[in-house]
Amino acid sequence: MDFVVYTLINTIFVLLISPLFMSLIKKVKAFVQGRRGPPLLQTYFMMGKLLKKERVYSANTSLVMRITPYIEIIFILVASLSVPLVFIPQPVAGIGNVILFLYLMVVAKFFMALAGLDAGSTFGGMGSSREMTFSAIVEPVVIVAFAAMGLVLKTANLHQMFGISLESALITNPAVLLTSVSLFIILIVETSRIPVDNPETHLELTMIHEAMILEYSGPDLALMEISHAVKQTLLIAIPVNILVPWGLTASPTVPGVLLAMISFALKGSLVAVIIGFFESMFAKSRLFRLPGLFMLALFFSFSTILFELLS
Amino acid sequence: MQTNLFLAGLILYPAITIAALATSSKAKMFFRQTILWLILLANLMFLVFSVITFISGRTFYITPYQLTASLQFDFAVDRLGAFFMGTTSLVAVSVSCYSLRYVEHSGTDAGKNVMAAITSLFILSMLLVIASANTFSFLFWWEIMSIASFFLVMHERDKSETRKSALFYLIMTQMSTVFLMFGFLAIYAVTGSFNIQPVSGISLPLASAIFLSLFIGFIIKAGVMPFHKWLPYAHSASPSNISALMSGVMIKVAIYGIVRYLMIVFSPVWWWGLIILVFGTFSALLGVIYALKEHDLKKLLAYHSIENIGIILIGIGLYAIFRSYGLQDLATLSLLGGLFHTFNHAMFKSLLFLTAGSVVNATGTRNIEEMGGLLKTMPYTGVLFLVGSVAIAALPPLNGFVSELMIFQSFLQSFTVVGPLLKIVMFAGLALFALTSALAAACFVKAFGIVFLAMPRSEAARKATEVSPYMLFGSAILAVCCIFSGIFSYQIFMALGYNLAIPDMMLIGLLLFIALITVWLAVRVFANRKTRISETWGCGLTSQNSRMEYTASGFSEPILTIFRPVYRTNKWSERWFFDAGNSLFKNGHAAIRTFKLFEEKIYLPVARFVQRFSLYVANLQDVDLDTYILYSFIAIIVLVLTMGWLV
Repeated sequence: MDFVVYTLINTIFVLLISPLFMSLIKKVKAFVQGRRGPPLLQTYFMMGKLLKKERVYSANTSLVMRITPYIEIIFILVASLSVPLVFIPQPVAGIGNVILFLYLMVVAKFFMALAGLDAGSTFGGMGSSREMTFSAIVEPVVIVAFAAMGLVLKTANLHQMFGISLESALITNPAVLLTSVSLFIILIVETSRIPVDNPETHLELTMIHEAMILEYSGPDLALMEISHAVKQTLLIAIPVNILVPWGLTASPTVPGVLLAMISFALKGSLVAVIIGFFESMFAKSRLFRLPGLFMLALFFSFSTILFELLS
Repeated sequence: MQTNLFLAGLILYPAITIAALATSSKAKMFFRQTILWLILLANLMFLVFSVITFISGRTFYITPYQLTASLQFDFAVDRLGAFFMGTTSLVAVSVSCYSLRYVEHSGTDAGKNVMAAITSLFILSMLLVIASANTFSFLFWWEIMSIASFFLVMHERDKSETRKSALFYLIMTQMSTVFLMFGFLAIYAVTGSFNIQPVSGISLPLASAIFLSLFIGFIIKAGVMPFHKWLPYAHSASPSNISALMSGVMIKVAIYGIVRYLMIVFSPVWWWGLIILVFGTFSALLGVIYALKEHDLKKLLAYHSIENIGIILIGIGLYAIFRSYGLQDLATLSLLGGLFHTFNHAMFKSLLFLTAGSVVNATGTRNIEEMGGLLKTMPYTGVLFLVGSVAIAALPPLNGFVSELMIFQSFLQSFTVVGPLLKIVMFAGLALFALTSALAAACFVKAFGIVFLAMPRSEAARKATEVSPYMLFGSAILAVCCIFSGIFSYQIFMALGYNLAIPDMMLIGLLLFIALITVWLAVRVFANRKTRISETWGCGLTSQNSRMEYTASGFSEPILTIFRPVYRTNKWSERWFFDAGNSLFKNGHAAIRTFKLFEEKIYLPVARFVQRFSLYVANLQDVDLDTYILYSFIAIIVLVLTMGWLV
C-alpha cells in the first residue's frame, strides 16, 4: 500500500516538475546572454502543442521508430521509482538498486540510438554513434562514482543512501563532497549539456541527443522530450538528496509530502540555475577532448575511494 | 527412468551417426530429414534426463562399459553436471529444430548427410564429457568432441579460408588436450585414481601447478585471450547451426571443467581466483573492443563469445577469492552469477548465431555493410535478433542483465570485507567490467541498427525473404528462454533454495507493463492520432539513397579513435600529381591496416620457432637405413638407462 502511494506520488510529481527545470535552465542562459528568454512554463506549453500535432514518419522507418517513444518513457519512469523525490518508502524487492537504476536508463538510451539509425539519415546515425560511444566511456565513471558513494555510505541502494543522509548531515563529509563533483559531471554528460553537447541545436558540431530525435514529431516527440526532462530531474535529485536531504520525509503525511515537494522544487531549481550558469561559462569542447572530462570525474571518485580506505 | 533415458540417448546418437554415414553417398532429403528428427528426439531425451536429475538433486551413476578395471566409461551426473547437460541439450534441441531446414540450403547431398551424422556425434560427446566421472572417459569424449567439431568446421572445405580456419582450430584444440592430459596424469600420479573427486593431501605448489595446467587447457578451449584467435576464424567459417553449438555450448564445456576442478576437486587459494579474474577481465574487455571493429557478422558474434566467457570467468574468479576468504554468501552469489551467465550466454548467443545464419543465408554475405533494412523483409528474424541483442547488451528485464547484475553486486559488496590491496583491484575490475558491459551495448546498437534498420545497402539485402517456420521456431525457443529466465530469475533462484539479494525482475516487468498501458491509454486519449508517411529529412536533397546512410565503419569510428592504442591502426596513403606543385591530383592509394597484436606478436613467433625446430629435426630424417638402426639403438640405450635410474 505504502509502495502504491509512493509510486503514484513520485511518478506524478516527477512528471510535473521536470519541464520546469528545463525551462529554468533556458531562462538562466537567456539571462546571462542578456535576453529575456521564454516564459518558465514554455516547456509545458510545448508539450501541449506537440500532443495536438500529427505524427510524421519517414518511409524508411520500421517498427523500432514507432515503439521507441513508449519504451523511452516507461523505462525512465520505472527508473524514477529508484529515486525518491519526496518521501522514502518501506524497502521493496530491490527497487532503488543502483545497477538496476542505471541499466533501466541504458535501455532507454539503447532504443533511442536504434531509432536514430532507423530513418537512414546521416544526422541520426551520427547522433547514435556518438551517444553510444560516450555512454560507453562514461559508464565506468558512473559506476565507480556510485560504488564510491556506496563505499562511504555502506549500501548500494539509493533509497537506503537517502535514508542515511537524512539521519546524518553528509554535506560536511569530504568524501561525499568529492563524489558529488563526479555526480555533477555525470549529470552534465548524461543530459547532453555544454561542454559535451549543445541542447539547443542539432548542428554538425554537437549532433548528439538532438540529432537522434530529429525525425520525431508530434506526440512521439513530446514523449521523447518529457523522458529526457525526467531523466535530468533524476540525475539532479541524486546529489541533491544525498547532500541536502532537508524536507525529504520517511513517512507519507499530507503536510510532510507537500513540504517535501516545495523544498525539492526549490533545491532542484537551485541546481538548474547552477547548470544554466555552468553552461554559459563554457564553450562546446572538441569531441575527442571529452574523455578528459570523464577522467576528471573518475579521478574524483577514485580520490573518494582512497580517502575512504585510508581513513 | 533416468537410466533408460540416458542409455537410450547413448545408443541413439551413435546409431544415427552410423546410419547417416553408411548411407551418406546416396541418401536423399527424406532420409536426411528422418535423421534430423531423430537427433531432435535424442536431444529431447537428454533434456528430460537433465531436468529430472537437476530437480531431484541426487547424483545419478551409471557404468555402461569397462575396458580394464581402471579404464572405464563411468558417468556421474550431479546437480552441476545436470545444469550443464540441460543447457547443452536445450541449445541442441533448438539448433536441431533450426537445422531441419537450414542444412537443406547449401551443399551436396553427401555433404549434408555427413554433417548430420557428425552433428549427432558432436552433441553426444559434449554431453558425455560433462557426465564423465573419471578423467579417462573425460579425455576420450573431449577428443571426440574436438575432432567432430573440426570436421563440422570443415563443412565448406572447398574454400581455402575454411581449410585454414579448421586447421588452426585443430592445432589449438590439441594444445588444450596436451595441457589437460598433463594435469590429469599428474593427479593420477598423486592419488592413483582416474576418478574426478576431491584431492586431499597434496602440497600447495603441486596443486597450483596442476590447477594452472588444467586452467590453461580449459581456457584454450574456451577461447580466452590470448588463446582466443581460433574462435573468430572457426565460428565464421563453419555453418551457422554449428557456430551456435560451438559458441553456445562447446566452449561452456570448458567452463564446466574449470568449475568442476575449482569447486569440487581442489579448494581454491585466493591468488588462483585473482588469476582467473585477471584473465576474465582482459578477455571480456578486449573481446568487446575487437568486436566493435568487426564488420563480419559472425566474427562479431564470435568476439562477443570471448567477451562473455570473460564475464563468466570474472564470476568464477570472484567465487574463488571470496571462498578462500571464507565469505560464503558472496562466494555463492558470484558463482551463481557466473553459472547463470553461462546459461544465459548459451541462450542468447545461440539465438544470435541462428538468426545471423538466417540473415547470412538470405543476403548471401557476412559483411554487415551490405545489409540494412532487413526488419521490413525479415520481420520475425529481426525481432528475434533484437531479443538476443537486448539480452546480450545486459538490458533489463532480460536474462543477460540479471547475471551481470549478480556479478556487479558481488563486486559492490566485496568492498566492506576484503583487504585494502584487493579492494583497489576490485574497484579497477569493477570499472573495467562496467566499460565492457557498456561497449557491448554500443556494439549491438551497431549490429542491429546496421543490419536490420534503415534502407538496404545492396541488391541482395533488398531481395531478402523471411526464412522457413522451422528455423524461426528453433530460434524462438531460445528467445522465449531469454525472456522467461530474465523476468522470473528471482523466483527461479528462490525455487532452487537461494535467497539472493537481487531485484525482483517480475515486479519490474509488471511495473513496466502498467506504465506501458497507462502511457498508451493517455497518448491515445489526449494526443492527436493522425499519422503521415513522408521522407527522411535530407538537408533539402530530394531523393535519399542508401549511400547517404551511416555505415558500420562510421558508427564505430569514434570508439576506434578513442581506443586507437589498443587497435594500433595504421593509416597509410600515397598520392601522385600531374604537376610539380602538387596541385593537380592524378592518382592515389590509401589503406587502413589494423595491427593484429596476438597474431603478429604471439602466434607467429611461436609458429616460426616450431617450424625452424621441425626443419632442424627433419635433417635427421633424410638418411639411409643404417642411421635409423643407430637411432633405435640409442633410443633403447637411453630408455634402459633412464628406467634403471628411475626405478
